[in-house]
This record gives sequence, structure tokens and C-alpha cells, in this order.
Amino acid sequence: MDLTVTQRAPAGRTAERDDFFLVEIDRFQGPLDLLLHLIRTQDIDVFDIPISRITEQFLKAIKGLAATDLDGAGEFLEMAATLIRIKAQMLLPRPAEDEEEDPRAELVRRLLEYEQIREVTLRLRAAEADRGRRFGKGYVPPRRKRTALDAPLETTWDEVYEAALLVEMPPARRVDHRVTTRPVSMEEKAVLILSYLKKGTKIRFSELLVNFKERSHGVMTFLAGLELTRRRVLFLRQSRPFTELWLYRRDDANDDDAPPEDLVPEGGDA
Amino acid sequence: MNVQQIVEAVLFASDAPLTAEEISRADEVLDEEQVEEAIQQLRAEYDDGARSFQLVELAEGHQILTRPEFAPYLERFDNVPRPTRLSGPALETLAIIAYRQPIGRLEMEYVRGVGVSGVVRTLQERNLIEVVGRAEGLGRPLLYGTTQHFLEHFGFRSLEDLPRPEELPILLRERIPLGLDDDAPEAEVSEPEELGGQAEMAFEPEDEVFDEDGAEETIP
Repeated sequence: MDLTVTQRAPAGRTAERDDFFLVEIDRFQGPLDLLLHLIRTQDIDVFDIPISRITEQFLKAIKGLAATDLDGAGEFLEMAATLIRIKAQMLLPRPAEDEEEDPRAELVRRLLEYEQIREVTLRLRAAEADRGRRFGKGYVPPRRKRTALDAPLETTWDEVYEAALLVEMPPARRVDHRVTTRPVSMEEKAVLILSYLKKGTKIRFSELLVNFKERSHGVMTFLAGLELTRRRVLFLRQSRPFTELWLYRRDDANDDDAPPEDLVPEGGDA
Repeated sequence: MNVQQIVEAVLFASDAPLTAEEISRADEVLDEEQVEEAIQQLRAEYDDGARSFQLVELAEGHQILTRPEFAPYLERFDNVPRPTRLSGPALETLAIIAYRQPIGRLEMEYVRGVGVSGVVRTLQERNLIEVVGRAEGLGRPLLYGTTQHFLEHFGFRSLEDLPRPEELPILLRERIPLGLDDDAPEAEVSEPEELGGQAEMAFEPEDEVFDEDGAEETIP
């Protein structure tokens, strides 16, 4: 909670009995924390909260919050609304034998649970500190290597200057960003693959690249192969990684012909 | 080389907790039982031999860690980024998640009475919590749970190591439960089950099933 407005006790009033709620509001984690504080400091029985008194104290404590931090204030205001609602419900007459829950029950549940969480938080804090006193491998940093920076410099400025004169400045180069169109399309490669597969049932991937030197041809051929695989026109086979890739025509006869176990299927559809 | 030595070598070379199962991978002939046995022997050996380190059970595994009394000496090497301590709100939120996981953000906020989105992000970044699923219902909110690293950070063997609710000295609980007459029997005093049992239930670490209806009820 980062609430900047603080309620300070005006000088001279600190000794008065009802000053406990003149608290620095940013000390609190939130409305439940503040409520707990009010209840604890007055030694109030949490199962019989004097809701009217607490509401009044709560409202006083958060007075002036809203203007500065809407987010934080919202949480306090919501609780204030809850308190006022409970107070109203308490005023309504209830039949003596009514089985209905006390209007304060839910608030009490929340306070108890919140207090438990606070207690657990303390335990976690302690556990964290205990664990922090044990160290595992790799905690102590490796010994720093002696770097060149540590060696004393034996060069004179004249030497540096001389050396500098010997350095030729590289010619200024204008670097333009070149936008190139794709020299080769996937469709083109698909046509190429299909033309080969018309003649035979299978074709080596490397054969498809004969006469094409640029890498983009290889990429596009591969993509075309994947695409045709997806369309179930062909399937890909490779016996082991980095070995020759074969493209097979997918005929009706071939369709159920799953590749043997030892082959690594490519393209996911084999 | 015997089993004990192999286990020791593996543990020595590791900078994180290892389970017996993981250690047994060091050799085909090793099984978990042998490893467990070797671990017990090593632990006793280190303890008896006045070593500066111990074999600690941690995060469902085992790790060799220095004994706490050597911390002052080791802390002098403090040019490494030390694991920073968590802030109050972060710890509070983490406590809620630890006991109520899997839990959504709205529920955390209801328990704390304060927004938690920033804190949840921090805890996630520090790998102390993770998304473990989604709740049914409107918007299918993300549910969070604690991680293995959470156990490591706090030195817990498992979630069972979390303080049990009944061992917490809760001042407020010692009062007479709400709804009881003033002449209620004295025995009921420390058992505020009349509160619907919900405050109790919230602290069952084994409370695995996320009761959606229950959650809805508590969120206004």
C-alpha cells in the first residue's frame, strides 16, 4: 500500500484516549490491516465487534485519502461501505430465534483469515532468512582473471600518436538498405517438383537443386515440398538427419503405405 | 568406487536440489533405494565429521549446503547478486497462494483486501508462482500455484513443511465464536468452527479441489 497521505496526531492531543486511530495510514497493508490494528489496540473481542464504534474510527482514519491515491483509497472506501452496511443491518430488528447469520460473520471470517495470513507471512519471512544463511555450490564467485587492464601501461603518448598516424581511415561507405524482390517463387518450385514426379515416382531433393546456386532456391524448393506434402500430393522421406531427402509421389497405392519405422518422416504428413 | 561415492560426486557437482531418482541416473546399476540409503549415510557422515556443510533435504530433493553458522564468512563474498528478500505484500500474497492453491487473483484480493496484480507479476517473474490452470466460470480466470523454486527459496522439503494452521498462535481465535450465547460451553472457545469452517478450510494445504462455488460466494 502506497498511500501518501498520513494522518498525524495534532500536537497536544496525543495523550487523549481516542488517539489510537490517528495512525499513519501508509503503515498499513490495506483496510483489513487497519481494521486489525483498531481491534487489537483496543482489545476488542473480534466475535463481538462494536461495529458502530469501529466504523466511526475507520472513517476517521481514512479521512482525506480519496483525493491523492484513488486506487489505494478505493480499497479503504470499499471496506468503509461494508462496515456501514453491516452497521445498518445490525440496526434492523431480527427475530430472536432467527437462524440467520450475524451480519458481522463474513467480516470476522475475513479478519481471522487475514490474521492467519499475517502470521504465516512472519513464518515465511523467518524461513527465508534461515535459508538465506545456507549456501550451495557456485555461491562464491570464481576468482577474477587478471585482465590486460591490470597490467601497467608502458606506452608513452608519443608512441600512441605515432601509431595513430599510421592508421588509415577506412573510406566512408554509404550503406544503402537494398530491398530485393524474391527471385524465385514457391509456385515455380512446386511446378518443377510436379514435373519431375510426373516422370517418376520419386526424386532426390538435391536433384531438384541442380543448376540453382542461390540458397533461396533451396529454401523455396523445400517450402514447396512441405506445401505439396500438406496437400497430400507427395510425401517426404529421410532415413537419417542430414542425409538425402526423397520426395515421393503419393498415389492411391502409396497412400496407406506408411514409411518404415526407421525412417524419419519429414513434413509431418508422411 | 562405491554407491556412496558416486552419490556424493553427483550431489557435490550440483547447484540445485536433486531427487534420489535423478541421482540414480548416474549409473544403470543404481536404484533409488540404494541412493536414499547412501544419502542417509552421507548425511550422518557429514554431521559426525564436523563438516562445514550438510546434506539438506530441500524442495523434494537433496542438496549439499553450507551450515548456517558459516554465513558471516561467506557473506563477505558479497559481490554476487544475492537473492533479495521479498517485500511484505509479496510475502503476504505468496502465503495466500501457498495455502489456497490453485487460486485466482480475485480470491487473493479478497483475502488481502488489497489489489495484487503487481505483486503477482513480481512473484511470477521471480519464479515463485506459476499459472497452473484456469477456473471454470466467467472469464475463466487464471489460477496460480507455487513452484519448486518456492520450496527452494524458503528451504521447505515440500508443501507439507508450511506451518500448519493449528500451530499458529492466532490471538483472535481464542475468543468466543460468533453466534454463540455468552454461556456457551468453555470447550468451544478455541474452536471457531461455527464460522462455517471456511477460515479453517482455507489453510488446508491438501485442499486440492478448487471449489468454484465457494469462491464465488466469497467474492462480492
